[in-house]
Amino acid sequence: MLRYAFRLHRWGIIGYGVVLLVSAYFQGAAFEQVAGTTAASRAAFARSMDLLASQLSYLLPPPFQLDTLPGYVQWRSYGPIVLVVMIWAIAAAAAAVRGDEDRQLVDYWLAARVSRVRLVASRLAAFGLAALLAAVAGGLGYALGAAGHWSIDWGRLAGKTLTLWLIMLVLFALCYLLAQLVQTLRGAQVLGAAVVVVLYLVDVLARSNSAFDGLSWISPFKWYDASTILAPAGQLDIAGVALSVVVTVAAGGLAALAFARRDVRGALFSRQAGAAASRDAAPSPLLSLPVASLLYRQRWVVAGWAVIMVVMAVYMVGIAKSVVDAAIDLPGMHDFLTHGSAGDPIRGFIGAFWFGFALLLLAGFAIHLVSGWASDDTEGILTAILSNPVPRWGVIAERAAAAIAGTVIVVAFGSLAAALMSAAVGYPLDAGAVFRGSWPLIPFALTYAAVGAVFSAYFPRAAIGVLGILAFVSFLVYELAPLLKWPTWAADLSVQQLYGTPFLTDVYWTGLWAMLAVIVAGFGLAALLLQRREVGV
Amino acid sequence: MTDTIRTEGLTKDYGAGRGLFDLDLRVDAGEVFGYLGPNGAGKTTTIRQLMGLSFPTRGSAFVFDLDCHRQAVEVKKHVGYVPGEPPQFGGLRGREVIAYLGAMAGGVDQAYVRELCARLEFDPGRRYREYSSGNKKKLLLVIAFMHRPKLLILDEPTSGLDPLNQQEFYSMVREARTAGATVFLSSHILSEVEHVCDRVGIIREGRLVTVASLDELHQIRMHRVEIEFAGDVPAEAIRRADGVEDVAVENHRVHCVVRGSFEPLMTAIAGAHVVNLTSHEPSLEDSFLAYYSGEPREAVATSC
Repeated sequence: MLRYAFRLHRWGIIGYGVVLLVSAYFQGAAFEQVAGTTAASRAAFARSMDLLASQLSYLLPPPFQLDTLPGYVQWRSYGPIVLVVMIWAIAAAAAAVRGDEDRQLVDYWLAARVSRVRLVASRLAAFGLAALLAAVAGGLGYALGAAGHWSIDWGRLAGKTLTLWLIMLVLFALCYLLAQLVQTLRGAQVLGAAVVVVLYLVDVLARSNSAFDGLSWISPFKWYDASTILAPAGQLDIAGVALSVVVTVAAGGLAALAFARRDVRGALFSRQAGAAASRDAAPSPLLSLPVASLLYRQRWVVAGWAVIMVVMAVYMVGIAKSVVDAAIDLPGMHDFLTHGSAGDPIRGFIGAFWFGFALLLLAGFAIHLVSGWASDDTEGILTAILSNPVPRWGVIAERAAAAIAGTVIVVAFGSLAAALMSAAVGYPLDAGAVFRGSWPLIPFALTYAAVGAVFSAYFPRAAIGVLGILAFVSFLVYELAPLLKWPTWAADLSVQQLYGTPFLTDVYWTGLWAMLAVIVAGFGLAALLLQRREVGV
Repeated sequence: MTDTIRTEGLTKDYGAGRGLFDLDLRVDAGEVFGYLGPNGAGKTTTIRQLMGLSFPTRGSAFVFDLDCHRQAVEVKKHVGYVPGEPPQFGGLRGREVIAYLGAMAGGVDQAYVRELCARLEFDPGRRYREYSSGNKKKLLLVIAFMHRPKLLILDEPTSGLDPLNQQEFYSMVREARTAGATVFLSSHILSEVEHVCDRVGIIREGRLVTVASLDELHQIRMHRVEIEFAGDVPAEAIRRADGVEDVAVENHRVHCVVRGSFEPLMTAIAGAHVVNLTSHEPSLEDSFLAYYSGEPREAVATSC
């Protein structure tokens, strides 16, 4: 049971293990290049990063000893990496509860006289083992990156690995518990993501405003941030570690209790009311229309990402003016915010942070769309579609068209929210600039979708992993290229780089043409590959 | 008659002796053709070739003289299909799945959809994930029949259906044939194809062994029978009965093998006081091997 449950995490271990390893390695290896080799240059670097940190509190933990390699890696790699492993924990927990039940694996295990408590314990233990391996890979990446540059304190590294492992474990346990409350895989993902994002935002709030420090202790992210053990003068926060362990055990226990009190494939609290009315409702006419039918099937994905875009646009544009007012007098900040924004720091902030963050969100949206295409293949829906007079290229064309429509909706909501929010806070953005910054977001997302289309057409099980790696490498290249002074062609290997900074300057036409070429080639190749592939095997 | 389905040397080689080899098959227009074989014999592989879902290693398959590989889209304008493994439509309701796939198939008569749902006692208002395996099969049957296709390709269509719905399904197949449709139906249950099929192809280890008429099929079918009598055993009458073989009498009990119909045996024991009668139907493979080798093997299925 444990062995099989562990086996189900093998791709997660590989994927997230590689991400953790590469992230820690690059940040460690790049430290000397970005911070210099003298104490003075490192102190200056730390001061400038401290400034940056205050603006990136939504992404990075409070900085600590950034003039040291371990302190820098802890802040730059171990800090934001929780956003990546958080996705793993949410997805793995939802799949462990609802995915296993949908595939009737749970029926099989229970019929084989595996107790419900043992099943829950096995799933938690299996993820714990998988997360431990991934955390160790991160530690290995740090050791490789720091080797030759900094003396490695193995005890401190073990401590950091422990805290990273615990944050993954506690998030998994919480999501595992939440998945007991709903009936579907998607419901478990959405509920898990919603709760985890709220917990994250509570911590983010405390990072930028000390008044929320007490409240932030409800968040596992705070327990993680509180340990700064990797830095030379850092410490392991015993309270945070203890809370992580206690909540993991408590959530696991409650999940076992909840599982014991509900039906397999049922929610803990079933709802009957209102079911009859929706049962008799006529199907949506959209289901009868090409493209619209696929969009209808993915409507919750599109709606969910549109809401996320709106929330983040409102948040980031809303804080822009106050953040800029507070930070503009700090040395270096004025130049940073006015560079390329015609001397307008608020516009500079929105261009750098909102549109930069929108890229990450849209990459996530595209990956989510592709996961739906891959699922259609593995769940037999593609076979059902191709049992009708539908050409295979038509399936790809429909996916492309639905991706375009979905992306337009998500981008439009985000940009509209940003424009309206800016007007509401007394800083109306130029509509032309918002439009110029927004429409290239569409080919940006479609570039990911096109790469995903290729893999989902030929090797659907690998599509999400490949796209995840592409997004990560793309982000890494985007970050490292200016620091390491890479040539333009190398920087352009990043999809983020291809987007450019159209809101602040002008459309980066070279990048745009490159993205369009990838989109056309990607969907074209996907059509060819699907034509030559056997379906349903 | 013209061929609705024609395969010529159709081969799908998965390696290690698995797959489908040199299949030459013809299914006439308007007939119900049963495609029989044990699990893993190559039935689904054949059907996937006909549906253009997988490609032949060599040879070719035609439906209505259309190449199943090169003209797959055209082929499917005329076909209704039930896959062996149901797809997973998750949270869509049954009627949403019908609307979604119905729009692709085209020519769906909503009144006929409602009639099919009623006949199969299928509630299209529930979410797909809430359906039992039997209800998922009913939904797939509705989808296959709803546009009144000229050819129905059904991969083990009754698995998961209760006996009443199986009977309804047999009625639907007969009606489709009466309306001029051709039905290609795979199964590993001998008695099932007897209900509805005009001819039967038997496949084993990827090779078509024979194409038999219903009469020949009755010869293949056999049962091991044990009868317990209250008084004297009508042994001679049983031995003389058509299709009854290997008769062994032990006190008040008779053990024998019955091929084909039970009627001669029933006639032979009419008037005797039967206390108990048990019939064991061997698996298709055992029946089939026994038929071709003359050596009945151990029975695996039981019916009374």
